[in-house]
Amino acid sequence: MTPALQVRHLSTTFGHHGTPVTAVDDISFDVMPGEVLGLVGESGSGKSVTLRSIMRLMPHHSAVTGSVLWQGCDLMTMTEAELRRVRGGEISMIFQEPGTALNPVLPVRVQIEENLRAHTELSAAGRAARCLELMDLVGIPDAKRRLTQYPHQFSGGMRQRVMIAIALASNPKLLLADEPTTALDVTIQDQILKLILDLRDELAMSVVFVTHDLGVVAATCDRMAVMYAGRIVESGPVPAVFAQPNHAYTRGLLGSVPRSGTERSPLLSIEGTPPGLTSRPAGCAFHPRCAFATDLCRRESPALQDRAAGQAAACFHSDRVIAAGLAGS
Amino acid sequence: MTLSLRQIPRPLLLGGLLIGASLVLAVFPATFAPYDPVAMDYNALMHAPSWAHPMGTDNFGRDVLSRVIHAYTIDMQIAFFGTIFSFSFGIVIGALVGYAGGLADTIFGRIVDAVITFPFLVLVIAIVSVLGPGLVNMYVALAVVGWVFYARIIAAEVKVQKRLDYADAGRAMGYTPMRVIFRHLLPNAITPAIVYLVTDMALAILLGSSLGYLGLGAQPPTAEWGVQIADGKNFMTTGWWISVFPGVAIVLTGLGFSLIGDGLAEVLRTRK
Amino acid sequence: MSLFFLRRLIQLIPTLAFILVVVFVLVRLLPGDPTSAILGDRALDADVARINHDLGLDRSIPVQFVLFLKAVATGNLGNSITLKLPVTTLIAQRLPVTVMLTVMAALMSLVMAVPLAFVAALRRDELADSAIRGTFQVGLSMPVFYLGLILLTVFGARLGWFPVGGYGDSFGEHIYHLFLPAFTLALSLAAILMRNLRAAIIGVVGAEYVVFARSKGIMPGVILMRHVLRSALISTVSLFGLSVGTLLGGAVITETVFAIPGAGRLMIDSIYGRDYPVVQGMTMALAVVVSLTFFLTDVVEAWLDPRVAR
Repeated sequence: MTPALQVRHLSTTFGHHGTPVTAVDDISFDVMPGEVLGLVGESGSGKSVTLRSIMRLMPHHSAVTGSVLWQGCDLMTMTEAELRRVRGGEISMIFQEPGTALNPVLPVRVQIEENLRAHTELSAAGRAARCLELMDLVGIPDAKRRLTQYPHQFSGGMRQRVMIAIALASNPKLLLADEPTTALDVTIQDQILKLILDLRDELAMSVVFVTHDLGVVAATCDRMAVMYAGRIVESGPVPAVFAQPNHAYTRGLLGSVPRSGTERSPLLSIEGTPPGLTSRPAGCAFHPRCAFATDLCRRESPALQDRAAGQAAACFHSDRVIAAGLAGS
Repeated sequence: MTLSLRQIPRPLLLGGLLIGASLVLAVFPATFAPYDPVAMDYNALMHAPSWAHPMGTDNFGRDVLSRVIHAYTIDMQIAFFGTIFSFSFGIVIGALVGYAGGLADTIFGRIVDAVITFPFLVLVIAIVSVLGPGLVNMYVALAVVGWVFYARIIAAEVKVQKRLDYADAGRAMGYTPMRVIFRHLLPNAITPAIVYLVTDMALAILLGSSLGYLGLGAQPPTAEWGVQIADGKNFMTTGWWISVFPGVAIVLTGLGFSLIGDGLAEVLRTRK
Repeated sequence: MSLFFLRRLIQLIPTLAFILVVVFVLVRLLPGDPTSAILGDRALDADVARINHDLGLDRSIPVQFVLFLKAVATGNLGNSITLKLPVTTLIAQRLPVTVMLTVMAALMSLVMAVPLAFVAALRRDELADSAIRGTFQVGLSMPVFYLGLILLTVFGARLGWFPVGGYGDSFGEHIYHLFLPAFTLALSLAAILMRNLRAAIIGVVGAEYVVFARSKGIMPGVILMRHVLRSALISTVSLFGLSVGTLLGGAVITETVFAIPGAGRLMIDSIYGRDYPVVQGMTMALAVVVSLTFFLTDVVEAWLDPRVAR
């Protein structure tokens, strides 16, 4: 099976007071048709920037290099007009904060309709019918009336449903979801996650799911890629990575989540905070916080290498990490 | 924190130069002016700009350059007295209102609403018309109307500061409200009012010269830019220099103050 | 929306009441007194008493206030001393001229400010941006009487493209006569609006909802007009409302420079002529115009921003 999306050597830098800083550093990954890929990491690890770089939505003072192959075409070299057909048509995106991503001064109907207008040949009546259908699809009752309302008249969860309705308007093949549940209450989170998964099945689309929440990854994703300081440090099928992390950072992340069905053991936690954009350490960016770090880690940056069970990790000491297991150290 | 010369925003630097030069001219006009500003020379009526008179002479044979330079004294004074009373009353009343809150704040809000409903210039002109024309009455009129804007800025700022810990600490230490307000809250709230003060000086010069032009501000034969422009308005086609050069002085000085205001605002923004 | 409209309309009442109070206070409580302003310092006592009586200044302050309110309520703002006409008649004659001048100036400033703000914001920190901002910065420091005088001399007297004064007789002539004065007035407002709108556009262009709109693949023109301009205009509209007072103040001076028979010109003439009731009436009329404009801009703002009209 050929991947739906192939990201190769994607890097994003910002011009930051003269000296450019690297937010995303040479990352590559594939998304298979119908697959849900989780992009995991702490805030500032470059997950959101990755999504926006794929869609070329970065602000002017940033530079994106590498290639993003979508159905054989490179999004990075497309003309603006070609890109507009892909954006919102074949690939849609939903954002973390529905409160800020929906235009506060436009009724919801207009914001759904403008997507339909751009990507479909529907007549006005057809668009109106499709709007109602979409509202039903994402589970917003009383659609006819609600379409005339403004975002501030919706609750947080309902706003996120509106955003999903907009994203799905033109039946995309790929949904890029940037922490779509982070701003929501826990109970609403589950509903939205379930909605996205149901829609994935119904519409046969792929999803890239950016999140910092491993619980969300476990519940929704087929494969995962862990990001740290702008790089992918580990990737693989979700059950495999959860069972046996190959990178010390992944191990720390998993260790800080309480798990059911295991013996009571002290939670692992990762000391320190992730490095800022301007202060990435030399060598492996994780070494200052890593219990397994050696001089090699401080000197050289490890490349992502294939490991067993479809996993890959960028760690010189994967074997020691595996040996240490997930019990508290 | 000190700023090195390179870090000073360009508008601040340029504005500082303009206003610095203006102040020098305002304080030592006689040093720089080649002639007596009110001396009439009937052998040199309406002479076009020349080496002897770089900005020409007016219809009374007065040297325009000397009048423009001497006017710096008056117009810089307008910038100062036209704003300082508003500023002083405004920050005191604003601090009290912001600290007291409640009814005082409500009443103050109504006053603000009432004052902004009047075109500023119309209200000032109306007050000057009651008091009679002249610079002093103009200052009174500006203070009567202008304090509201400073008070509004300070009141809003004090309301924010009041909720911070250090204000509570002051109260807990048994300081009197007055001490808390004027020693602790006001100094922390004053920066936006100072930025506004600088911008307001530009407005005061525009307004002062406008009243001078209308005959309600500085009175002839005092050299004041607005008065000078009014003097020359009937000779625009035959002696444009009488009015044009004083106007350039207004623009440069107004520009200087507003550039400093912009620059200060920029410095404060980047510090935050 | 209609509820908001109604509520905002009711809020006009206290504002109008405050205008009356301020005008009343202005006349009675300031250290100067209108009678000596009218008659000069060497007035006869009998004349002072007569004028005091005519203006009702010989009564107690509360009584004066009641009489003042009664007079205003019955549409009586007194009579002009020099023109011997009711002040209300003068307002009816002159105010429309000033309103027309101000409306023209407001439209011109929008026509200048909106496109230039877009250019400046989208070409941020480039040459076009610096040129636009620099020009307007200078425009902002230029007093209207000075700019007016220069435009009048160059385009009126020298080139003869525009009349050098007056108002004309037909609507077309009005527009022709008011073109230069309106432009004079418009420049500084355009500068203020451009500055605000430029900052607002820069803020909105980076907003999440604009990025989201771009992610939908809609045309850039639609994004600019529907998503960016509309939101950016919201703050500019309220600034615009607040600036109308400045515009009317400027109109007073512009009318004097261009010899336009409007309310401002009449007001200045009345000050020279010590025609006190006219000054008072015009002040009040101009304040009413401002408060009506506040009302209108609030309605426009509510129309642009549904969150306001809750």
